[in-house]
Order: sequence, then C-alpha cells, then structure tokens
Amino acid sequence: MVLQYFLISLAGLAGSVHCVGMCGGFVCVMGKDPRGAAATLRRHLIYNLGRVTTYCFLGAVAGTLGLLLVGHHGEATTVSLAQRALAVLSGLLMLYIGLQFFGFFRGTRWRPLGFGADHLVFALRQLVKAPGAGAPLALGALNGFLPCPLVYAFLAQAASAGGPLPGFLAMAAFGLGTFPAMLAMGGIGLWLRPALVRSAAPALAVNVASDGGGSGALPLRHDWRQHSLRIAGGFIMLLGAITLARGVLPMGVHLH
Amino acid sequence: MTETASCVHCLLPIGRLGQQREVNGEALAFCCYGCCLAYQVHHGEREEPEAARLLIQLGVGAFLAMNIMLFSLLLYSGTFGATTSGSGDPTTLRLVHWLLWILTTPLVVVLGGPFIVGAWRAARLGRLSTDTLVTVGVLAAYGFSAYQVWHGSGDVYFDTVTMVLILFTLGRYLEALGRVRAARSLAPMLAAERAEVRVVVDGLDTIQPAREIQPGAMVRVLPGERIAVDAVVIEGRSECDEAVLTGQAEPQLKTAGAPVHAGSINGAGHLLVRATAAGTATRWIQISRMVREALARKSLLGNTVDRLAAVFIPMVLLLAAGTLWFWSGVAPFEQALLTALAVLVVACPCSLGLAAPLATTLGIGLAAQRGILLRSGGVLEKLARIKAVAFDKTGTLTEGRPQVLQVSAHDASEQQVLYHAASLARTSEHPLAKAIARAQQTVGATAASEVQARPGAGISGRVDGRAAAMGSAGFMSALRWQVPAVWPATPQGCTLVYVGWEGRVHGLIALADRPLPEAAAVTKALRDRDLAVLLLSGDREAAVARTATRLGIAVWRSELMPEDKVGVLRDWTQRHGPTAMVGDGMNDGPVLAAAAVGIAVGGATDLARESADIVLPEHALANLPWLFELAAQVRRSIRINLTWALGYNLVALGLAASGLLQPVLAAGLMAGSSLVVVTRSLSARRGLALPSADRAAVTVAASA
Repeated sequence: MVLQYFLISLAGLAGSVHCVGMCGGFVCVMGKDPRGAAATLRRHLIYNLGRVTTYCFLGAVAGTLGLLLVGHHGEATTVSLAQRALAVLSGLLMLYIGLQFFGFFRGTRWRPLGFGADHLVFALRQLVKAPGAGAPLALGALNGFLPCPLVYAFLAQAASAGGPLPGFLAMAAFGLGTFPAMLAMGGIGLWLRPALVRSAAPALAVNVASDGGGSGALPLRHDWRQHSLRIAGGFIMLLGAITLARGVLPMGVHLH
Repeated sequence: MTETASCVHCLLPIGRLGQQREVNGEALAFCCYGCCLAYQVHHGEREEPEAARLLIQLGVGAFLAMNIMLFSLLLYSGTFGATTSGSGDPTTLRLVHWLLWILTTPLVVVLGGPFIVGAWRAARLGRLSTDTLVTVGVLAAYGFSAYQVWHGSGDVYFDTVTMVLILFTLGRYLEALGRVRAARSLAPMLAAERAEVRVVVDGLDTIQPAREIQPGAMVRVLPGERIAVDAVVIEGRSECDEAVLTGQAEPQLKTAGAPVHAGSINGAGHLLVRATAAGTATRWIQISRMVREALARKSLLGNTVDRLAAVFIPMVLLLAAGTLWFWSGVAPFEQALLTALAVLVVACPCSLGLAAPLATTLGIGLAAQRGILLRSGGVLEKLARIKAVAFDKTGTLTEGRPQVLQVSAHDASEQQVLYHAASLARTSEHPLAKAIARAQQTVGATAASEVQARPGAGISGRVDGRAAAMGSAGFMSALRWQVPAVWPATPQGCTLVYVGWEGRVHGLIALADRPLPEAAAVTKALRDRDLAVLLLSGDREAAVARTATRLGIAVWRSELMPEDKVGVLRDWTQRHGPTAMVGDGMNDGPVLAAAAVGIAVGGATDLARESADIVLPEHALANLPWLFELAAQVRRSIRINLTWALGYNLVALGLAASGLLQPVLAAGLMAGSSLVVVTRSLSARRGLALPSADRAAVTVAASA
C-alpha cells in the first residue's frame, strides 16, 4: 500500500519534468519576488500548494465517483466485478498514457479533455505577474485544472482506488512528487530567464510528444528531459500494470 | 445617460444594477457580474494588476472550495468516523467542522461578495433581485452551520454553501459567454466608434482614430483591413466586401477613382484612398450608433419579464419562509432549513431574465449581417404581430424611373421616331426625357438646337435643321400639329409621349415605371404568410392599377398625398390590425412614422433622422420575407424560452418546497437551466443565418 504511494510519488517526480512544457512556463515567468529569496520561495510554495490542492480535490472526487460507480469493497460479486472492470479500464488507460511517454501513439491529442484550456491559459497569464499572496495561490489552483496526461493517468489510478481517501492520497502522493521539480524550475527559471521568456509563453503542450513547448526552452537539456520522461512513463506503466492486475488476477492475489 | 450605455463585454444594455469597474484608469461598465467575470478572463493580455483581481478572487475561491469539498467528501465517506451517530472520534469530527468553518468564511466573502453587493444595491433601490435570493440562501445556510459548529452539535452544511456559490458563479459566467456569442455578429457594426486608420502625412503613416479624419486626408488601407473612412481610391486595386453596408456578400472591384465605403473590408490589394467625408459622418458610424441604441432599448417581452420578476422574487422569499415554517413543524429544523434553501436557490429566475435579450440580440445581429438595421429588439416582436403590409409604389416596388415600353410609328420608321425623340431628349433633364435618351443609345442622336421646353407639357427644337417636337397630346395641339387618330394599343397605365417633326406627329412612345424583378416574388411570399398587401401611391390611378395588377396586389389607393397615406393606413389598421409600411425614407416619412412598423428601403442617407423602425439597404427588398421569418423566429424563441424557464421554475419550486430537492442539486439545476436557454437561443440562429452553402457559392463565383 505504502509502496504504491511511494511509486506514485516517484512517477510524479520523474514525470514532473514533463511539466516544464506548460506549468513550467508559468513558474519561470512568475520569477523572483523583489523582497528577496525567502519571499520568492514562499511565492513558489504557495503556488505549489494551490496546484497540489487541486490534484487532491480531483483525486478525492475521482475516488468518490469510482466508489459510487462500483460500490463498496468486497460486497456482492456483481459489484466486485464492476470494480474489477474499473481497475482494468484504469490500468489500460495508464498503460496507454505511459506508452505515450515512450513516444507511442503520438497522434493522440487530449483535445476533448482539454476543452476550454485555451481560455484558462489565457486567463492564467495575467495572474503570473500579479503581486500578493493570493495570485500564486489562485494561479496554482487554476493551473491544476490544465489538461495534462500525467494528471489523467493518476486520476485513473485514483478512480480505481476505491474511495475518496485513497483517491485523495494517490493524487497527494503524485502532487508531492512534482513538488521538487516545480520548485527547482522556479530556480532554473531565474538563471535561464532571458532564454525562457521568449518561448515560455505557455504554449498548450497538451500532446505528450516531448518535443512540445518546453524543449525549445532548454535545448541543452533535451536528452536529460527525454530520459526523465521515459522514467516517468515506466513508473506509470508499472502502476498501470498493478492496477490492471487487480482487475484480472484471481481474488487471492490482490496486491494490496 | 445610463439608458443607452452598453456592457463592455456583451454589448447589451446596462440596467440600473450595472457594475462599474476601473481598469487601467478606464471606467468599464458591465451589465452583470457574469460579464465582469468573463471580460477579465478573456482580456488577460493587458497585464493590469486591477484586471487580475477578480481572477485572483476566483482562484482563491476555487482553492478554498476545493478544500471544503475535499474534507466534506472525506467526512461523508466516514473517514473521520460516522457523521452524526457519534461512533467516530468526536474530537476529530469537531476539528474538521471548525476547519470547514474557517475555510468557508473567506469563501463567502470572496465568491459570495459579488452576490451580496448586488443584493445590497438592489435593496438600496428598494428592489429585490436574483442576487437577493442567493444571498439570503447562502447566508442562512452559513449562519446555521456556524451555529452548529459553535454548539458542537449535528451536521454542518458548509459544502452546500460552497457548491451553491460555485455553481451560481459558473452560471453567471456561462450566461455572459452566451450573450457574447449572441452579440458577436454585431461586432463589425459596433467597431466603428473605436476604429483607427493609417493616415499618410508627408509619406509617413500615422495611426489616428477614424473619428478625427477630415475630408481630404490620405489614408492607407492594408489587405484584409476594414476601411474606416468614406473615400475615393487614389492608388491601388482591390476587391472590397461591403456586406456590412449593403448585405451583399459579393466583393466589389475597386480601382483608382472608385468610391470606397467605411465599414467594408479590403480584399487582397493595397489601397491608397482620399477621405471624402469626415470620420464622424460616415454611414458606418451612423449604423454603429443606431445598432447601439437598438440594443439599449428593451424588448417588449423583456419589459414584461422585468415586471414579472418584480413579483416573482418576493413570492419566492415568502414561499421559502413558508416552507421553513411548515417543515420545521413536521421535521428537524436542519431539514426544514435545507428545504427552504433549495426553494430559494432553485427559484432564482436567471434564465427568465436571459430569455428575451438573447433572442433579440441574435435577431438584431442576424439582420445587421444583411445590412438591415433595426431601431430596437422590440421592432422584431412588433413585426411578428403584423397583419398587413402597405407598400409605396415608386422607388419601392418599382425601379423608380420610367422605361420605354413601346414605340409606335406613323408614316415613319420606329428608328426615325426614336432618333428625333432622343435628339430632343438629350437636352433635357426630365425623367421621361432621360428614359428616352437611355433607350436610344444604339442608333445615336444629334443634339437638337433652338430647344424650347415647356415644363409639364413638352419640348420643341430643331433636329438636323427640321422643326421637331415631343410631348403630351395637348402640347401637340397647342403647336397645331396634326395628330393621327388611330394608334396601336398601348399597355395600360403608361405615360404617352407624342413625337413629331415638320408639322406632323409621326410617333408615339409609351413609357412606364417597371416593377423591380423581385417585387412579384416578395409580395407573393408575404401573401403566403397570410399578410394582406396594399399599395399606396401618389401616382395616377392607371399607373398604380397597372403595377398592382402585375404584382397581384388586390388593394390599392392612388393619387394620395403623404398626409392621405397616413389616413388610409390608420383606417386600414383599425379595421384589419397592425400594418407595416414599406417606403423610401425620404418622401414617406410621415406614413412610416404612423405605421405600426415603418420600413424604409434604400436611399436612407441620414439614418439619424429616419422615422422608420427598420432600414433596408438599397436593392434589398428581397430580404423582406426573410425579415418577417426572422421576426417570427425571434418571437417563437422568446416564447419558448420564457415558457421553458417559467415552467421549469414552477416545477422545480414545487419539488423543492416538498423537500424532494437537495440544495446542491437545486443549484446545479439552476445553472443547467441557464445553459439550456443559452444553447437554445444560440441554436435558433442556425436556421436563419445566411446558409453557408450560399456563402461558399458566392465566394467561388467571386474568385472565379
């Protein structure tokens, strides 16, 4: 159980390099607080708090919906069948998304799921420059709703987790995993700022193909980024396989 | 002048409860909270801290709401122990309740603030608004939950407060989006007042507001740009789309010397033009002003809805109070409170207020796309109630200029008759003379000499040295020229002109004003809509009868002075119901003003002084049946929307009062009803917009 959350965190950690494409843009432009390093750190922490809150909320909702859909643990056989079906579905979705991180199915866009994202990105742009503690919090909270395959993968996991609490925990683990990279992006963004500002206007890098908006910003680190994405994909596929196994393996072999 | 002010976002008029917001030193006026919200979400490129404030509120609100919902979900799923029975850890439960209270308080301020402010403003005007309902409901649920937490007893409903606020904010946002979509087709008309032009001074381009342009200014127009001045082309060649002004989708070729009109869109070529009119005097800017005024006028049903809402809201408050009283007698107080809250939330007549403005704005926009201008949205509703249409003849149903229909000759050839007539006619400005001169361009004619014209009778002179004359029979008798007694029959209702030379009449030319090619189809289409069609004219009986017969119009009156037309129209209206008058804006002013709906066709140079309710562009008579169809559609759309919204509200109210509806569900249903009204209104436009296939055909034809 704990191992699973740890895995999710690791996947988040590796996968968050992917965030450079969209969320990273915001983070970098958000930049430095004039009142010093502590204030800057606070600003970025608040932003990430907002972002992770959204993930947690989505996780709890996904968990609740999953629960409503299939009923409680260990009830009648039809219900457990539905639960297994959900696990299979979630597992397959995660495997699919994981494979995308390796460069398969590049043609797929997450367009329908990202409905309205253009408006959201547009609106978020005016938040990055706004002063005060409210702006980064609002930015983070709304940022969390931007379409992102990583988030979808773990929401699938949360939906099959069997309740609001496990759903919440799964997304919290993922969110915490993305914490270091997003904080670091803030720091890197300060050094590379001149280069980044040009291309960091958060282009909608919805497609998983790693040659999205971010790679242009960090040409030297292209390989490094590619590797991280593969690692993240690996984790997602591993978790997907576990979820899938919960659905197809006989009862006794439950992995948690 | 709040009456004509329109919302920055949706362009609809601002009522008394509009919102003012200062952005970057510029005071922006919004008609509602939703538009304020939508505007700031969509205008992020300006990077103003002030503009971001609302978004920050929204984001922080979302953050708080998500935390509240998160904990509420966990609470309900029993993570902290069972909720009421006390089987869980009571300390944890209390802690969570306190946490929810702490999170909800700023949320009520941030997301509830706009509603509370709106309710307060309405209250100061001695009114109740939809905001009042939301405010009362939310504050009641919040207050009760806070009381529960303080006393450490029972359940809390902070999540309900949160969801109601979130859903209502979302609803307002959706409404604003719908309004913008409805007003989108009006954007080109409304752009006039803020248009800018590229003025060339000493070879340098400078950007200036189009309003400041004076005649004579040189203006550069880039490909694809909207031309903002009335001007004449000096240099360049391009095709211009003048649809805003004429409703015609075919691009017009413009070369040096051709006039271009403000409001048209330049095609693929560069143009250098010289302004011929001041920037404030273009037809485009007049159209813009007129459309703005039309939007600012409330529709008829819109007024009814306002009166209805004024009764509806106090009733809902009473009903909610009654529900609370009744249910607290038979059930726990908490349940009674939730039921009353559901009543308040579900009854919010948002979609009621949305039904009429959306439909009329769409109507005004669709008409404007065809170059048709409406005085107000109410005009469409009036048009839908029309029972008869009266037409002016000359220039409205006919081409407005006589045509040579027949030439008869006596002891001469028709060529000779025309030759002499045209030679005389070339020296005159009389409409009949001009028609004859036009008719005989192939044979050629010399200019007559020693010409003498007797107004209203005829003209005489010398053609190739011979004495020649043409005019009425009386004129010929006065000249003591011999007029042959027998002529071939001439079409009924024609004007006859005798032509003679060397002391004798040799020919007879019959002229008449021809009906427009589309006139017959238009009158038939109107009759097919069960509208009575009349013809009112100042012309002679024979000419009017001829036109009426050809167009299948059963009722006509001739030889009417403008005042007589008013009398006839009033008479007819009394006996047969509301009557629309179609005429040219210049001569028919009084009768257009007297009609239930006055429709001016073409030639409307000074729109501001028009007494018409509707102005059709020149040569656009064919759009008349479509306009009636549009009016019928708009009325139908408003009626269905209103029925739907009212019925929905009543059913939902019943459900809520009987305790069958959760408040959160009620709020969701409310947002849903707004969504339905918006989508319904917007989908109604599809049938009436210029069919896309037509447009494609036009484009293909133009590019071929």
